[in-house]
This record gives sequence, structure tokens and C-alpha cells, in this order.
Amino acid sequence: MNALRWSSIRSRLTAIIMITSSTAVLLTCAGFTISGLLNLRSRRISDLSTVAELVSSNSTSALAFGDRKAAQEVLYALRPKPSIVAAAIYDEHGALFARYEPNAAFFIPPVNLVDGIHDSDNRLELFYPIVLDHERIGTLYVASDQRDRNSRLAQYGEIAAGIVFISLMIALLLSWRLQGGISGPIVELARVARLISRNKDFSARAHHRALSDRDEIGDLMTGFNGMLAEIEQRDERLLLIHNHLEGTVARRTEELTKANEELLDAKQTAEKIAELNARLARESALILNSATDGILGISIDNRPTFLNPAGSRMLGLTLQEMQGKTFHDAVHHKHADGSPFPQAECENAQSVSQGEPIRTKEDTFWRPDGTSFAVEYASTPMFDENGRHLGAVVMFRDITERLAIDRLKSEFVSTVSHELRTPLTSIRGALGLLSSGLLGPVAEKGQRMLEIAVTNTDRLIRLINDILDLERIGSGKVELIRGPVDARAVMLQAVEGIHSMAEQAGVLIVVEPSAGTLWGDRDRIMQTLTNLLGNAIKFSPRGSVTTLSGISGETDFVFSVADEGRGVPEKSLETIFERFSQVDASDSRGNGGSGLGLAICQSIVIAHGGRIWAESNAPAGSRFQFTIPLAVPEEPGTVTAVPLTSAPYRKTVLVYENDSLAAVGALLESRGFGVVRATSPAGAAAIASNIQPDAIVLNIAAAGDRQPIVELLQSSNETRDIPIVVTPQLSEPDGDDTALAADRISAARRDDDLIEALNHACDAPCILLVEDDSDLARVVITLLHRHGIRTFHAVRGAEAIRLSRQHEPSLIVLDLTLPDIDGFAVVGALRESEHLLAVPLIVYSAQDVGSADRSRLRLGTTEFLTKSRCTLSDFEAHVVRLLAATTKRKQEERDAAA
Amino acid sequence: MQPHRKVLVIDDESDIREVAGLSLQVTEGWTVLTANGGAAGTALAQLMEPDAILLDVMMPDMDGPSTLRALQEQRGTGDIPVIFLTAKVQAADREKFMRLGVRGIIPKPFDPLLLGQMIKDALSW
Repeated sequence: MNALRWSSIRSRLTAIIMITSSTAVLLTCAGFTISGLLNLRSRRISDLSTVAELVSSNSTSALAFGDRKAAQEVLYALRPKPSIVAAAIYDEHGALFARYEPNAAFFIPPVNLVDGIHDSDNRLELFYPIVLDHERIGTLYVASDQRDRNSRLAQYGEIAAGIVFISLMIALLLSWRLQGGISGPIVELARVARLISRNKDFSARAHHRALSDRDEIGDLMTGFNGMLAEIEQRDERLLLIHNHLEGTVARRTEELTKANEELLDAKQTAEKIAELNARLARESALILNSATDGILGISIDNRPTFLNPAGSRMLGLTLQEMQGKTFHDAVHHKHADGSPFPQAECENAQSVSQGEPIRTKEDTFWRPDGTSFAVEYASTPMFDENGRHLGAVVMFRDITERLAIDRLKSEFVSTVSHELRTPLTSIRGALGLLSSGLLGPVAEKGQRMLEIAVTNTDRLIRLINDILDLERIGSGKVELIRGPVDARAVMLQAVEGIHSMAEQAGVLIVVEPSAGTLWGDRDRIMQTLTNLLGNAIKFSPRGSVTTLSGISGETDFVFSVADEGRGVPEKSLETIFERFSQVDASDSRGNGGSGLGLAICQSIVIAHGGRIWAESNAPAGSRFQFTIPLAVPEEPGTVTAVPLTSAPYRKTVLVYENDSLAAVGALLESRGFGVVRATSPAGAAAIASNIQPDAIVLNIAAAGDRQPIVELLQSSNETRDIPIVVTPQLSEPDGDDTALAADRISAARRDDDLIEALNHACDAPCILLVEDDSDLARVVITLLHRHGIRTFHAVRGAEAIRLSRQHEPSLIVLDLTLPDIDGFAVVGALRESEHLLAVPLIVYSAQDVGSADRSRLRLGTTEFLTKSRCTLSDFEAHVVRLLAATTKRKQEERDAAA
Repeated sequence: MQPHRKVLVIDDESDIREVAGLSLQVTEGWTVLTANGGAAGTALAQLMEPDAILLDVMMPDMDGPSTLRALQEQRGTGDIPVIFLTAKVQAADREKFMRLGVRGIIPKPFDPLLLGQMIKDALSW
């Protein structure tokens, strides 16, 4: 059976069938043989019994009479029966009485007392009783030959062998034919399995006709193929995952390698850092100890945490002595004049607590002994690596000595300036008079010399002025008077001022102004522009063009002065702003400059926090540019954050005076008006239309000069509604007053009259129209002009908010849809300003406004008009009525107050 | 025909007094009085009642503002227009001076030929 295990399934099946069938056949044959043999024996026994009965009955008498012969004869009668091979008769004592032995080969056994059949190898023996009258008288022995039994057996065996052989052949044939149905699929499965195990190719499939069978084999094959498909799919998925994993692993490995390297680096770095730290700590200690400035660390609640020796010396205090006090209470508790200075009022202490850096140029610190010293200090907030505010480091310096030196220097400069100017005044005066010829004729050469002397005296004077200017700006002596500056106005004014110089030089000045509100010192910005324009004109040929332009950036406004002159060589572009830097030596003579103009410009621009630079202006000339920070724009979002008190409302007045001493302008400034100056009728008209002042003041000496400017102002839609106030000289009763009777022009006689007239003029009803449709706006403005009502027009919401704050209109007409923010946001912003809360409002919108929205749109008396339902004349009537009511109410309030 | 004017120049520098005086005489034909300091100036002003006073700011004994105050407080001279003549021309100084009540400020050094015109402009003559 073991051999089967190694043979193929085909052989095994065949063998199983063969073994099974041959066993069956053999068993059958054996059965038949055994049954044949048994039949033979029983037949023989029956034969023998018949013979024995016959013989015994025949031999009874012979025995009873002892007739041996008769007995012998009876026995011999058995001769025809060849199967009987021996017979004998025994008497009642068992002695042999007669015998029959046809074949000597058989011997007669002694009497067997037991009756019955006895089987021996080659005979079948029977002992049979001979009975007479129920009395046993002897025993009969009969034996039959059964040697033929083996030959029978052999015969049977041959037959059986033949049958077995034939049936095996048939079985073999059949099994060969039939076992394919079972072994074939299995062999195929085995083949595929082997193939897969050898090639690892799971795309292989078992193919067999049994696949379509609906039996177990079919199921097995289908299942096998299904399993393969499953494995293949899983394989593919595994492959994908594998690839992905490989990528990930590769990446991770790389990262790990890198991290490892970094770690190594970091370790080395850490060691270096530790070393460095130790060195730094030593150095810091050294620096702190040896610094001549006081260095003080304070915690977030203003308490001192460390103090270096220099600081301790200056303050006359040790750190221990300051314990329990805040820094402010320890050294900053009094003002410079000795009045108490509580910490709650100290902005610097607040700033330090809030983590803001501070820089104070001059302050006073007090020592415990009651003395004080002038100090300059800077506080830098300290944060830990997580950005947590720890406190601040305050560096301070005793500036008593420096202040003394500054004072000396300032006195010196002032003295020098006076001492230099005094003789120069005499020289310039004397030379001027001489060269004028008024004192008598001078010889031609002498005249020339005098002119040289005058020119150079003038140059010397300019030089002294410029040096003083530069010294004052550079040292911060001249504090910039910062405020919002209208970029467009300042550009126009600068050009206005330089106009005559440009005309003389035959240079055309083109202005490309741009709107923007700067944060700076108007006069100084103007000085810078004038300086740059003057330079441009000086270095430009006749007939060339100089362009002044401005661009508003995000945080800065960029001014640009471009000329078509001879330009600045590339190598000089950087150095040109240095003092006494001139492109070539001939400049100073040819153009009479001090060489300090650009240095002054630079000082001014830097003091403003801007920058200035020069570049070549291709193809010819140069371009000077500088930036000035823009005022923080009034965005609706930021508007809400501005405290009401921080935006004082100032009336803006345009002053035009041909009085060079600017008496009226100065007066108005001192009375809190925002003053913009113009120096020519055209300039005044341009500025007025650009900045829309609350009023225009004309301070014109010569009576005949006023008419052109009044006409100019009234000829333009943009300026005709601006109230005009004229100063005393104009109003002198020379019969011309009738010409000024126009209701928009008022005359003022004295200073107080002027202010009152101006206040009155500024309070004249005006309307803010917020409307992005410019055609409609123009119509409305014209309509209202007929009633003598001045209208400011805003297209955008932000502009509306700005104009409202600037002019405090008597009435606001508001469209809801605007290009930037909507009307709701405008009203929201206006509500933030106390003085605008009661301003009457007409919401003049394209769509109806719901009641919920209406509540969000209220200021003072608020009316809602829908454009499609309300004719222009209805609208006009509403405006006039509302305005009249407001004016009346204001008048009543004023009367009540008076 | 321009009206005849009488102008008082107060300056401690005799050269400047002379140049300024000569300038106004030859360019405008005015009568010029001069004083070498505040005390002399105020006395002369009361005595001669000039149409305008040209007053130096920096003088050793009595400076410009003190002299101005003296003129304003003195009987008969309070209404005489005063113009400062000064080497200090900073904007801050200018405003300060204007608040004192002067009618004009003429910077030193000045152009002798324009001095008269500057006075006329300041006083609207």
C-alpha cells in the first residue's frame, strides 16, 4: 500500500479499482469452491450412508449366523461402486469378521466404537451399526476415496484464476476509461498548483471540462480558480501596499538618516552652544558690569530684577534697596518740576507692562537723596521662546552733560548766526545800495565787482541759513509739527511757490498730483519739494520739462521730481545727499547753491520716517524721489476704534493773501483753524477745488486784485458754493461793497470780526450727498445750488465718513449701495462720532427699506425716500424743508445759549 | 504821489542803522530816524511819532520784545505799527512774534532795495 502513496492518482485509482474488483472476484470464487466441495462431501456421505444401510441390512443374517462367506459376498457386492475403496464388518466384540479391499493401498482400521463419519486425508469413513432386533450385533465399516477432492480443487482454482484474470482486464479497461472523470480535474489542479508553486504565478487557472460540472469536482475547480483569482487580487493589492510601504520605508529611512545626521549636528551644535553660552554669560556679565549705561531688568509688574553697577551708581541705589518698589516708584515718582507723578499716569510704565518698546529722549530720574538727573532711556520688552512676556530691559543714560553741551551748542549756533548775520546785513545792505546806482554812478568795472560782491554775499547768507537749518533738523532741535497733510494741496502749493523761478529759467513744470493724506510737517514737506523743484530748474536747460508727480502706496506716499536736465552721474547717485556734495566744482559758482539743499531734504525726509533717493531719468535728466508716511486711513473698521476725543474737529480754511507776512493765516492757525495757504488766484482755485475747505479767506491788500479771484472761484461748480470771507482792507467803505453784496461773501473788519464771520460762514448749511451715480449727483448739486446750499459729494462710503467728520454737514443724503461699503456701515461709523449723532439724514435709495433696516439707519431726523417713487422736485422739497427745520432749531439753540 | 512817511529804525548796530536808513531814503524817499537801543527808541518814538518802527530783536540791554512792550504800554506809541528786523527766522519764532502784536517780520540780512517794499507790504501802505 505504501507504494501507492507515491504513485499518481491515476495509478492509485486504477489500483484501487483492480484490488477491489479482484478481491470480490476471488471471494466469489472461493465461495463457489467451498460450496462445491461441501456439496461433494455431503453427496458422498449420503452415498456412503445409503450403501452402509444396504450392506448392513444384508449382512445381518450372515453375522447372526457367523457365516463369514455370506458376509464376504455381501461385501463383494460393492464392487460396482468404484468410489468404495474399502469395507469391513466387525462382530459385536469388534473383531474383524469380513473385509473388502479392492485396492491394497487402503488398510482397514480397527473398529471404532463411535458411529458416524470420520474424515481423514484421503478417505471418508463411516462406522455404521448392524442391528438385529434392536440389538447391536456388529459394526459395518465403509470407506470412500476422496483423493479426487484436490483435483477438483485445482480445477476450481484454474477456473477462478481465469475468471479473475478476465474480470481484472475488464476492470482495468473500465477504470482506465472512468477514472479520468475524477483524476483528470485533480491532475489538472495538481498541475496548476505545481505551476504556481514553481513560478509563483497566480494568474494561472485550472482548465478542465469538469469545471462546468455541477458536482463536487466542478465546485472544487471553480473554488480553486476563484481562490486563485482572490489570491491574485490580494497579491496585487499587497503589491500596491508593498510598493507604497517600500516608498514609505525609503522615505522614513531617508528621514531617519537625516534626523540622525541632524541629531549628530545638533549634538555638536549643542556642545558648541553650551560653550558659547558659557562664554556669552561671561561676556554678558562683563558687559553689564563694565557698561557705562545703566541697564535694568524689570518684571512684567514693573519691579526691578537686576541692575548693573553703572545703573546703580547713577541712581544712587542698589537692587536690594529697590526691593518692594516698582521701578517707577523708585526713580520716576516725580515730574521734572518736582510735582508728583503717580504710576497710573505714566504712559511708559503702562507700555512696559504691555510689552511695548519705548524710547524716551529726555526724562528725569530721581535719586533717594532727592537729587535728580536728566536721562535718556529705551525699554525693550523681553519674551521667552514661547512668546510669553517676561518683562523688559531698560537701558538708561545720564544726559545731564549732553544736555548742557546741547544747550551750549544751541546758544553757540544762535550766537554765531546772529553774529554772522549782523555784519552781513550791513555788508549786503551797503553793497546793494552801491550796486543799485542810487548813490551815484559807479565805474563799469567797479559795478561788475559790486555785483560779484552782492552775489557772493547772498550765497554766504544762504549757506549760513542752510547750515543752521541742517543743524536744527539733524539734531532734532526743530520738532516736526506733524498733522494730516493733503498731498495734492502741498504739491500744488510747492509748484505755485516755485512758479516764477521756473518762468525765469524757461522751464515748464508739469504737476501730476495724486490724492493722499500724509502724516507730517506740512511746511517741511513743502520745503523739500521746493528744494527738489528748485534743483531741477537750476540744472535744466530752457524749454525742458520738469515733472512733479505723486503716487499713494500702501503705507507711504511717494513724491517724484523728474527733470530733463544734465542728470546725475551714476557714481554720484549715492553721495549726492551728503553735505557740500556737488556733482562738479563749477556747480557752486554757476548756480549759487549752498551744497546743503539735498542734505536738508534728506534730514527732513528721515525725520519723517521716510527715505529719499536719486536715480537717472532715462533718456536724460534725473529723478529724485522721497516717501512720507500716509496718515492712518479712515477705514470703517478702524473708525470704530478711534476714541471720539482723539479726532478734534477742525474747520479747514483756505487763505489767500498777497501779504507775504501771512498775518491772517497765522491768526487763524492760532485760533484752531486748519489753514491751507495759496499765493496766486489760480493756485487758490486749484487748491479750493481739491481740498474743499469750509471757507476761503481773501486777505488782499490792493482792492482791485480781489475781483479776478472771486470770479475764478465762482466760475467753477466745485468752488462756487464755498463761502468767502474778505479781510478789513477789502471792506473799507470805498463804494465797492455793493459789488461784494453776493450773499456768500462776507466782510470782516477786525480779528474777532474775522473769526466770527468765518465761524458763521463755516456754519452755513451744507449738505453731504453720498451717491455713486455721478449724473444724479450733478443734478442734485445743481438743484441745491439754486437754493444757495453748498453740497459736498462723496462717491464712496469711506469718503462720506471722512467728509462728515471734516465738515459736519447740516444734512446727509445717503444712497445705500456704494462701491466700497454700504450705507448701513456708513451710518454705523457716523454714529460713533458724537457730533454727528443728531445730523438729519435722508436715505435716498433705489429700493424700499424695511422697518428692521430702518432702525439701523437712524441718525437725527431720518427720512426714507425711494428713488423710483419720489420725483426730484419732491426730493428737493424734502431737503429744503428738513434743512430749514434744522437751521431754525440750531438758531434757537444758539439763542437759548446766548 | 506817494505819501511821505517817517520811519524809526531801532538797532544796536550803527552800520545796520545807517544802511537801512539810507536804503529807505534812497528807494522810498522816506524820512528815517534811528535809535541805538530800546530805551532811546521808545523815547524817540514818543517824541517824533513815526509812521512805523523797524525794531531789531536781539539787542543787549532791551531786546525787541521788551521794547515792543514798552512802546505798546507807552502813551502815544501804542498804535504805531512795529516790524521786527531779525536774524531769527524759524517758523516757531515767527508765530511767537506775530502773537506779540507786531505787524510784520523782516529777516536779516535784507535786500536794501526791497526793504521799503517789504515794509509797505507788511503795513499795506
